[in-house]
Amino acid sequence: MPQRSVVEAPNPFREGLRIKESLEPCVMVIFGATGDLTHRKLLPALYNLALEHPLPAGFSVVAFARRPYTDESFRQQALESINQYSRQKPVNPQVWESFASGIHYLQSNFHDPEGYTKLNQLLNKLDQERGTSGNRIFYLSTPPSQYPDIIQNLGAAGLNRNRKGWTRIIVEKPFGHDLATARELNRQIAKVFKEDQIYRIDHYLGKETVQNILVFRLANGIFEPVWNRRYVDHVQITVAENLGLEGRAGYYEESGAIRDMIQNHMLQLLTLVAMEPPIAFDGNSVRDEKVKVLHALQPLVGREVQNNTIRAQYGPGWVGGKQVPGYLQEDGVSPTSSTETYVAIKTFIDNWRWAGVPFYLRTGKHLPKRVSEIAIQFKQPPLMLFKDHDTQGQVEPNVLTLRIQPDEGISLKFGAKVPGTDMQIRSVNMDFFYGSSFVREQPEAYERLLLDAMHGDSTLFTRRDEVEAAWAFVQNILDEWGAAPRDTIHSYESGSWGPQAADEFIWRDGRRWRRP
Amino acid sequence: MKGVGMVMDNSAAPGMQLPWAGKQVSPEHVEVELSTLWRLAADNMRISQNMNVRTSVLNFVICAQDEKTARKASAVLRDLASTHIARVTLLILDTRSDGPSEVSTWITLRSFPIISDIMRHHFEQVTATVGGKAIQYVDNIVQSLLKPDLPVYLWWLNDLPEDHDIFHRLIKLSSRVIIDSSHFTQPEEQISAASAILQQAPQCALSDLTWGRVTAWRELIAQFFDIPEYRPYLMAVDTISIEHIVATSSQALDHHSSQKNPIRALLLAAWLKTRLGWKLSEDESDNSRDPVTGTYSWHMSERDMNKVVTQPLSAITSGEQKTSAPLGGIRISVQPRELVKSAPGTLCLVRMVCTVEGKQAIFTIERGDDDDHVLTSVEVPGSPRPPRTVSIAATHKESDLLHNELEIMGRDRLYEQMLHEVFALLAE
Ligand SMILES: NC(=O)c1ccc[n+]([C@@H]2O[C@H](COP(=O)([O-])OP(=O)(O)OC[C@H]3O[C@@H](n4cnc5c(N)ncnc54)[C@H](OP(=O)(O)O)[C@@H]3O)[C@@H](O)[C@H]2O)c1
Repeated sequence: MPQRSVVEAPNPFREGLRIKESLEPCVMVIFGATGDLTHRKLLPALYNLALEHPLPAGFSVVAFARRPYTDESFRQQALESINQYSRQKPVNPQVWESFASGIHYLQSNFHDPEGYTKLNQLLNKLDQERGTSGNRIFYLSTPPSQYPDIIQNLGAAGLNRNRKGWTRIIVEKPFGHDLATARELNRQIAKVFKEDQIYRIDHYLGKETVQNILVFRLANGIFEPVWNRRYVDHVQITVAENLGLEGRAGYYEESGAIRDMIQNHMLQLLTLVAMEPPIAFDGNSVRDEKVKVLHALQPLVGREVQNNTIRAQYGPGWVGGKQVPGYLQEDGVSPTSSTETYVAIKTFIDNWRWAGVPFYLRTGKHLPKRVSEIAIQFKQPPLMLFKDHDTQGQVEPNVLTLRIQPDEGISLKFGAKVPGTDMQIRSVNMDFFYGSSFVREQPEAYERLLLDAMHGDSTLFTRRDEVEAAWAFVQNILDEWGAAPRDTIHSYESGSWGPQAADEFIWRDGRRWRRP
Repeated sequence: MKGVGMVMDNSAAPGMQLPWAGKQVSPEHVEVELSTLWRLAADNMRISQNMNVRTSVLNFVICAQDEKTARKASAVLRDLASTHIARVTLLILDTRSDGPSEVSTWITLRSFPIISDIMRHHFEQVTATVGGKAIQYVDNIVQSLLKPDLPVYLWWLNDLPEDHDIFHRLIKLSSRVIIDSSHFTQPEEQISAASAILQQAPQCALSDLTWGRVTAWRELIAQFFDIPEYRPYLMAVDTISIEHIVATSSQALDHHSSQKNPIRALLLAAWLKTRLGWKLSEDESDNSRDPVTGTYSWHMSERDMNKVVTQPLSAITSGEQKTSAPLGGIRISVQPRELVKSAPGTLCLVRMVCTVEGKQAIFTIERGDDDDHVLTSVEVPGSPRPPRTVSIAATHKESDLLHNELEIMGRDRLYEQMLHEVFALLAE
C-alpha cells in the first residue's frame, strides 16, 4: 500500500461526527464590512457558527471598509448588530470574547493599493498569531461597481493565491446587470481567480427547503415516475413579497423584478425542479445538470416576449393593513420610471422530459403576502364516470406544492367524496409541514453557505456558465422590453395578486394562477 | 406544553389519580376518545383561526417505574425541540410484587410551544399504569396503544428492572431504545446488562444520552487535528488525562445520589484509544482500576498504525524526514475531581501530551467557570495559538440530547463499538 502522509490522511477523530470533514482555520476578509449585509447577515451568521462551534479556534475576520474604526470600536458595533440580528441572543459574553479577539478592522479605500499591502501584512500576521495557515476567503459585500477594483487590486497585491493555504472569493448578488456585464465581470474575476476559487452566492440555495427539492424528487419512489410531460400539466413558481422598496429605491430602480428575482432565485428553483438526476451529489455534477436545463429553456425572442411575459408596476393600495403609495410615487423613484415591480413569464423547457409543459413564473412586490412556492399541477384523469352527477368544476386537478417560505412544507391536493348520499367531490389538501416533523431551529441560509465555502464545497453556489445561461434567457426579455412602448407596462393595485393582464395571460391557456 | 383546553375528567377514576395525564378512559376506548379530543381541538382551532397540525413520524414510548419519574419525563417533552412525535405512550410500571394487577389509561392532546403564530403542532399522549401480573404482558399492552406503521422509540428511564424479561419484551417491539447511563446507580453493571439484552434483539438500536454528552468533547478534540500541521502529533501522543467530576462525600450523603459516574470519562478514553490505534493487551502489568474512587489508568504499547496514518512521525517543525524513535506506548488515565455544584460524571478535563524530540506539545480542553463553557488550548513549541472559550450548554439539556437521539435512524455503530471498548477497559 502506498504510504499516506500524516498530513493528507483524514482526521481519524472525525469519523461518526456530524461534520465529517476537517475545517481548517481561515481568515475571512469582508470588503464592505460597515455595510448593511455584513451587519444583518454575515456577522450574526459567523457568530452562530462560533457559538455552535463548527468554526475552528483561530478563525479570524478582517473587516475592510472606509469609515474610521479601530478594532475595538468595530467589535463594539459588531456586538450590537449580533445582539440585534442573531437567531441566538443575547450574545454569550464568554464566547463573544474569544470570537471578538479574532476580529480586526482595516480602514482603506478600495481603490488604494496601499490598503492591500496593509491587508497582506495583517494576513501574514494572523497566520502567525492565530494559525490560519494561509487559508483565506475574500467576501465581496460591496456595491457591485466596486467588484472589479477590488478583484484587480487583490491580484496586483498577489493575494489571489498563496503557497501555504487555499484562497477563495465569495461574490454577492447581483452578479452583473445584464448578460454583457455579467460576462465582463466573469472575465475580470477569471483574470485573477480560477473558477474553483470563485463562489457566487445565491442565498436561496442555502435554504433547507430548496435543498429538499432534490431529495423529495429523487428519494421517493412515488414522485419521480410522474415527474415529466406525461403526467404534469404545468408548473407554477411564485415568489411573492408583501414588502415594497424598504428604502432601497436606488438599487431597485436599476434592477426591477426580473433582475432581482427571476434571473437568480427563480431560475434556480426552476432548474432544481426540472433538472435530470445528477450522477453524484457534488458541486460539478449537480451544476452540470442545472446548466443543461438553462440551455434547454426556449429563448423568448421578438414578439414572443410580448406574448409570454407580463410586466407591471404597483399602484397605490393597502398592504398589511397600511395604505401605501404607488411605485411611481415612491421616494427616489422617477415618475416616468419603467422599472417593473411585477413580472410573469411563461416558458418551455425543450428537452425530452418537459417538452410541451409550460412553466409559469411570477414574482412581485406589494402582493398580498410573502410566499415562495412551486406548484406542480398534474393532468386530470377522464371524468366521464362523474358526468351524470353535478360535479362540474368540483373535480380539480391534483396539485403538488412545495412551499419554500413561510411554513416550509409540501402539500398534495386531491379529490375526495363529500360524505352523503349524492356524489359530491371536493378537493382536500394533505399537508406536510417541514417544521412540524423536523422542527429544530434551522440555521440561517448564510450560515450554511459560509460553512460550505470554508469547506470548499461549491454545490450550492452558482457556476460561471450557469450565471451566463440564466442571463442569456433574461437578456432577450430585457432587450424586447427596452424597445417596447411604455404603455406595455401594466399596473396593479398594491395588495392584489397582480395585474388583470396577468390573469388573462394564463386564462388564454385555459389555466389560472394559484392563490397561494 | 400547554394542554389545548381539553376536558380533564378524573372524578370517577378509582385507584391512582393522575390529573396531569389528562382524561382517564378505559384502555379499549383509547382510540375513540382520542378522536373525540381531536375533533374538539379542531373546533377550538377554527374559532381561534389556528391551524391544527398532527405530526406523524414516530411512536415514542416512555417507560418509568414510578409516577414522579413519569411526570418529570412528561415535563421534559415540553422543551423538546422536535415535533417528530405522533404519539407518546407513557408507561408507569408498578413493579412492586404486591401491586394490584391492573391497567389504567389516560389520554390528552399536547401541543408544542414553538413555531409560527398561526400553526400549532400537536401530539397525543396516552399514559398507562401497568401493575401486577399485567406487567408480564407489557409488550402486548403497548402494542394496542401504538400508532400504526410508525417506528417505535423507547425511552427507558431509571435503572433496568430486576426482571430483565420486561425490558426484553419491550425492546422486541422497538426500533431504538434510549437509556441514560448517567442516571444508573451502578452504571458499569447496568450498561453491560443493557448491551447484553440488546444482543438478543438485533433489530433494535441502542442510544445512550450519556454518549451524546461526550459528543461536544469529541468535536473539539477533532478540531485540534483538522489543522494539517498538527496531524502528525497524533502519532506522538504519549499521555492522555481525563477528569470527571465526583461529588464531595458530604454532598453525596445529602442527596442520596450516586457520588460518581465515570461512564463519560470511560467512553471518551475508549474512543481516544481506538481512534489512535492503541490496543489493550492482557499482559500489561501497570494497569489499575479503582471503581470505588473512579480512578483508572492503562498503559498500552501495541498499536495498529493503519488506524491512524501510515507514515511515521518525522521532524514536524523542520519538515525534514528525520524519523523519531517509535513511541514506547501511551498512558491513559481517568481521574476524579471533587467539585460542588456540578453533576457527578461531568467531564472536566481532557489533556493530550505529545513529546517530539524532547519537546512537549499539549492539547487541552478544560471546564471553564461553569458547566456551560470549556476552554480549549494548544501549546505547540514555536506555534502560539489563542485559547478560546466554547459554549457546550446545549450538550447537557436532557431535551436536546433526547432530540438528537430521536433524529437518528439505524444503529449507532460507533457508540456500540465504544461500549465494547469500555467493557474491555474495565475487565480485570
Ligand atoms: N443588504 C442586503 O440585504 C443585501 C441582500 C442581498 C445582497 N446584497 C448585496 O450585498 C452587497 C453589499 O450590500 P450592502 O447592503 O451591505 O451595501 P452597503 O450597506 O451600501 O455597504 C457598502 C459597503 O461598502 C463600503 N464601501 C463602498 N465604497 C467603498 C470604497 N470606495 N472604499 C471602501 N469601502 C467602500 C462601505 O464602507 P463605508 O461605509 O465605510 O464607506 C460599506 O461598508 C451588495 O452587492 C448588495 O447587492 C445585499
